[in-house]
Amino acid sequence: MGRGALATRVLGGAAGLLLATGLYLGLVVAPPDAVQGDVQRIMYVHVPSIVTAYIAFFVVFCTSILYLWKRDLRFDALAVSSAEIGVVFTGITLATGMIWGKPTWGVWWTWDARLTLTAILFTIYAGYLMLRAFAEEPLAGARYGAVLAILGFLDIPLNHLAVYWWRTLHQPSSILRPGGPSVAPAMLLPLAVTFAGLALLSTYFLVERIRLERLRHRTAEVRLKRGRRG
Amino acid sequence: MGNWGFIGLAYGLAFVALVGYLIFLKRRLRGAREELAALEQESGRRTR
Repeated sequence: MGRGALATRVLGGAAGLLLATGLYLGLVVAPPDAVQGDVQRIMYVHVPSIVTAYIAFFVVFCTSILYLWKRDLRFDALAVSSAEIGVVFTGITLATGMIWGKPTWGVWWTWDARLTLTAILFTIYAGYLMLRAFAEEPLAGARYGAVLAILGFLDIPLNHLAVYWWRTLHQPSSILRPGGPSVAPAMLLPLAVTFAGLALLSTYFLVERIRLERLRHRTAEVRLKRGRRG
Repeated sequence: MGNWGFIGLAYGLAFVALVGYLIFLKRRLRGAREELAALEQESGRRTR
């Protein structure tokens, strides 16, 4: 086994270990919330998922700018790989949020500003992936995709501030807020451990997804060479 | 459904999504590797 493959396996194993610890801390060790009761435990997967998705989309945003600037396909490979991971984690956020909403708010879904903007975020980057998959000219797809990814990222600060700008059902941030987190340390620990696990897992996914993109580029090169030779 | 039913549903769904994505990613990687190997083999044969 090569060093790269071994490092990827270690990364995956560490992610699994941290996620199992986070699961134990969130479901067994952490106390139930004084107001919401046990159902608040869903937050230990919901919150780390959206933070992971935001980081993935930030990577897409930066690498898309770099791609448009340098026209280096390595940046594009990183962008498309990270976008896919961001979409997976945004999907998990939406699903777990809906499941938490039913016993807490009494509805699975409401057109609240935070929820709507998260659904829009999911749609923008799912659209980005479709654009990349169906573009007839790959370089044009990469260019248009980069523009869409940069514009789509504007949804994130808007989403973060939505709970302050509009009257929303969704509570304001409990962690990323001025004055520091308002969450009890016993609840902060499972959030932090699960986030660390998801961050490692998303890095593992990213490494594997970039590997796939490299293989696709290599395949396209071989096909092109073969075409030239006739 | 009780509180723990909703918790189980949320964690179960997240687990299925992550494992499902992992399987999907591994399958595509294997497919891409096989496609490239076949192409390179074919190109090698043509050159010879």
